[in-house]
Amino acid sequence: MRIDRTHRAWLIASLIILGVATAIYVVYAASSPAGPSGGSAIGLTFGIAGSLCMIFAGLLAARKKVPVWRLGRAQTWMRGHLWLGLLSLPLILFHGGFKFGGPLTSVLMVLLIVVVVSGLFGAVLQHYMPPLMTTRIPMETIFEQVDRVRAQLLAEADEMVEAVCGPLNLQNVARAPRARSAVATATIATTDTLPLCNFYSRDMRPFLQQERAQDRALSNQIKAAGSFQGLRTLLPAELHDTVKNLEDICEEERQLRRQIRYHHWLHGWLLLHVPLSLALLLLGCAHAIMALRY
Amino acid sequence: MSASPLVELTIDGKKVSVPAGTTIFDAARMHDIEIPTLCHQQNEKPVGVCRVCVVDVGARVYSASCIRPVEPGMVVKTADDGVKRARHTLIELLMSDHPSPCARERQSSDCELEALAKQEQITAPRYAPRASRRGADNSSMSIAVDFDACILCDRCIRGCSDIRENFVLGRMGKGITAGIAFDSNEPMGESSCVSCGECMVSCPTGALTNKIVTQTAIARTPDSQPVALEELQELPFFEGVSGTFLSLNRNAVVRRHFKPGEVICREGEYGSTAFYILEGKAKVSIASPMAHVKTKGKVRNFLGKLSSKLTQRKNDEREEETSQHWIHIDAPMDLNYDNPVATLGAGDLFGEMTCMSLYPRSATVRAETACTALEMLRNVLDIMQRNKTFRARLDQSYRQRALDSHLRAVPVFAELTDEFIGGLRESVELLRFTPGQVICRQGEAADSFYLVRIGFVKVSQTHAGGEMVLAYLSRGEYFGETALLENTLRSATCTALDHVEVVRISAQDFASMTRRFPGVRQKLEQVGQERVQMNRETLVMINSTPLESFLKQGLMEAQSLLLLDLDSCTRCDACVKACADAHDGVTRLVREGLRFDHYLVATSCRQCLDPLCMVGCPVGSIRRRNSLEVIIEDWCIGCGLCAENCPYGNINMHPFNVFTDVPGMPGQKKAIVKQKATSCDLCSDFAEPSCVYACPHDAAHRVNPRNFFANLLKQGASTTPES
Repeated sequence: MRIDRTHRAWLIASLIILGVATAIYVVYAASSPAGPSGGSAIGLTFGIAGSLCMIFAGLLAARKKVPVWRLGRAQTWMRGHLWLGLLSLPLILFHGGFKFGGPLTSVLMVLLIVVVVSGLFGAVLQHYMPPLMTTRIPMETIFEQVDRVRAQLLAEADEMVEAVCGPLNLQNVARAPRARSAVATATIATTDTLPLCNFYSRDMRPFLQQERAQDRALSNQIKAAGSFQGLRTLLPAELHDTVKNLEDICEEERQLRRQIRYHHWLHGWLLLHVPLSLALLLLGCAHAIMALRY
Repeated sequence: MSASPLVELTIDGKKVSVPAGTTIFDAARMHDIEIPTLCHQQNEKPVGVCRVCVVDVGARVYSASCIRPVEPGMVVKTADDGVKRARHTLIELLMSDHPSPCARERQSSDCELEALAKQEQITAPRYAPRASRRGADNSSMSIAVDFDACILCDRCIRGCSDIRENFVLGRMGKGITAGIAFDSNEPMGESSCVSCGECMVSCPTGALTNKIVTQTAIARTPDSQPVALEELQELPFFEGVSGTFLSLNRNAVVRRHFKPGEVICREGEYGSTAFYILEGKAKVSIASPMAHVKTKGKVRNFLGKLSSKLTQRKNDEREEETSQHWIHIDAPMDLNYDNPVATLGAGDLFGEMTCMSLYPRSATVRAETACTALEMLRNVLDIMQRNKTFRARLDQSYRQRALDSHLRAVPVFAELTDEFIGGLRESVELLRFTPGQVICRQGEAADSFYLVRIGFVKVSQTHAGGEMVLAYLSRGEYFGETALLENTLRSATCTALDHVEVVRISAQDFASMTRRFPGVRQKLEQVGQERVQMNRETLVMINSTPLESFLKQGLMEAQSLLLLDLDSCTRCDACVKACADAHDGVTRLVREGLRFDHYLVATSCRQCLDPLCMVGCPVGSIRRRNSLEVIIEDWCIGCGLCAENCPYGNINMHPFNVFTDVPGMPGQKKAIVKQKATSCDLCSDFAEPSCVYACPHDAAHRVNPRNFFANLLKQGASTTPES
């Protein structure tokens, strides 16, 4: 979610709550001879308020499970998640008097800090990554379809080259060592198409086939442009269209790889944020029960 | 009665006697002397226009033997050198203007002119053909007209007027522009031609030929029998049809016998034939009228009920519908929504739309008793439908059985009384239109109101920039009311998109109806105002939308777009999940599509202004609400035509489990998987589309494209160079 001017109301409300809480805390801390305590009435109030903020933030996941339920617009929940979740950290710090306490509370505080920081990191990513994806991946597809599209690109490239060079027995070429594949290609290619066949079997096809071929020249846009320009000089003009199409396929492949990377960045932080949030809520419950009972 | 006195004459040196009044041509034929001719045949009155039969009777000029009566002592030379030369020149002149080989020569190698040319050994005429071609007319379903091959012999005209007494064909033009014409020079398919085939049988060349339809022979099955020519001729609706013409088409019709319970045709299947029931009864129905669209009240468990409560669905009743509504099918009746079953009997014709326009079958027809039916291809159906007797019977049957339900199926006519409809029954006209034929034209005086009975009608307006399509109307919809109510000229042109039949209600009847039923008038006025408003908006949209890419992507056609702001969207798919959740697990949107600026136009119904998806739906289940939203009703039969027609791929077919009757086992049902079309319904059950509601990033928006992109479009307009 982009943090823009539409968040102004939430920002102001959060600042007011924070300001009021801070003022109360300062007065409370100054007036308590033994220092602020989580067990005092004010400390407990901070604890409850912080917990409620955390619970509300945690309920976003549950809200997403029932998207059709008319429980308020999802974006309202998301804004609440962001600002109340953020607010929970100072409230809990006020609750604990900026002390981590025993082992359980220490774990809770660390968890809370990690959750809030990971959440902030996620918010930053969600603010900056989508526009970046929009501009840098114009050929973006549905993430789940990426593998399928890449397979299609490979098949399309195979077909294109076979139309020019004849059947290349590409399955074998892919598995064969470089020198052998070149020989295999040379036996069926004419002199004119030989550079294309060699380039395809040595460089391009392995690039399209191997997901982690980052070291290959074709994974870099500038180097790839140079490679294709060089290839054009070796081929007759009538094959330049084919080269252009192959270059486009490589570009799409690069963009899809970029999409995978960006997607992992955009959603990967949730692997840390979500389980830790769950752990935080569970341990928070345990802490509340223990604190109230004992 | 005394016999005519005999006349003696000499033909080619042979003395012969024939009754007075006999023509030279007939006298020669009676004595085995052959005189070639083109314009004359024995069953028609001779006119002597082709002059190929010229003979020398010793007069100043040669005489046409087909019209010159014999005279006592006449000496006739039919084949001396002069006559032969004259005949040769005539044939050569005719051949110079003849597209050799013509259609007839190609089809059956019996073009009479080309046969004569071969006899005369004319291969390449010395004379130049005419500079401009006369063209062809393919508007008839069964007869092809090639005006270039016409030699103006008038045999077709005499066949039509003298033999069949239909008086459709006649001569038109003078000199080089002379030709044959149907009615007042209408295309043959749009004329009053009854397709008796006499003209085609009479034509000596390829000017009128039997049309080769896609399938000239109907597929044979074990239960089908060919129908002999004599049997066909005995059927009342083939009365008056030329035997030769019928013979040419007899492979396009078979007699089929069905056992009780046997399926005659099944809904959703593609076919190319129509059925005419000769004996027995058949049940017509559509399966699973209710499925997949409505989920309200379907859940039984606690969580489901709780979920249903929390979703806050709106009342699902559609305000523009009456409680009783009808499903339009390709048969002489409509099916009641609550009980979509009806019975067909002897004399009923069904499957016309499938046969004529190759639309999918709209309903399942099952033999109720032992049933015999004629199954026919469209060339035979066309012959039948053009038959005056059959047409009258069909119309009568429609007036008596279907007009009532047809009128009442239109919500605005729901309050008409039986007595008034009874009066209309006799006065309405049933009109047929061929594809492309104009039903009423923009700017004409309004004299009628039309109700679509079969087919699809395109409503368009002509503006300076070209034609703008306003709507497509299907069975049960109507047009022509605005001009009648406001007493103005027609505001739009209505054209038949395929084979269309309309019920025409005259201006007088319409006026009497609106006078007697003010409620009907009020509703019609309301609909008229909505249509005018929509047209105005469309026009404003067209005039103020300059961006080329906006137009290219068809965004201007949209009334409501699902846009995803890619700068905010985290590709979390919450919108897709919400859509699936709201529609029984089947999403109606795909987060993929065209991009416009930083917006993604998701693959989801755009509620187009020109909804091509609605053209061809055999049961009218995809339709517009009065609010102009395009919705797919529950009775979709899953033929998939709308999905094919949608240019944006926004309609998908999804399998659903439905329960249908087990044939021969009354009361028992079995589960079958059926395809149904699904498209975004804007979550009309809810206050807001679920995809938009569930987007946590404020990235999904349902917008009117023109309003939403107004700023961008203005910028585009200001930067677009003047052309």
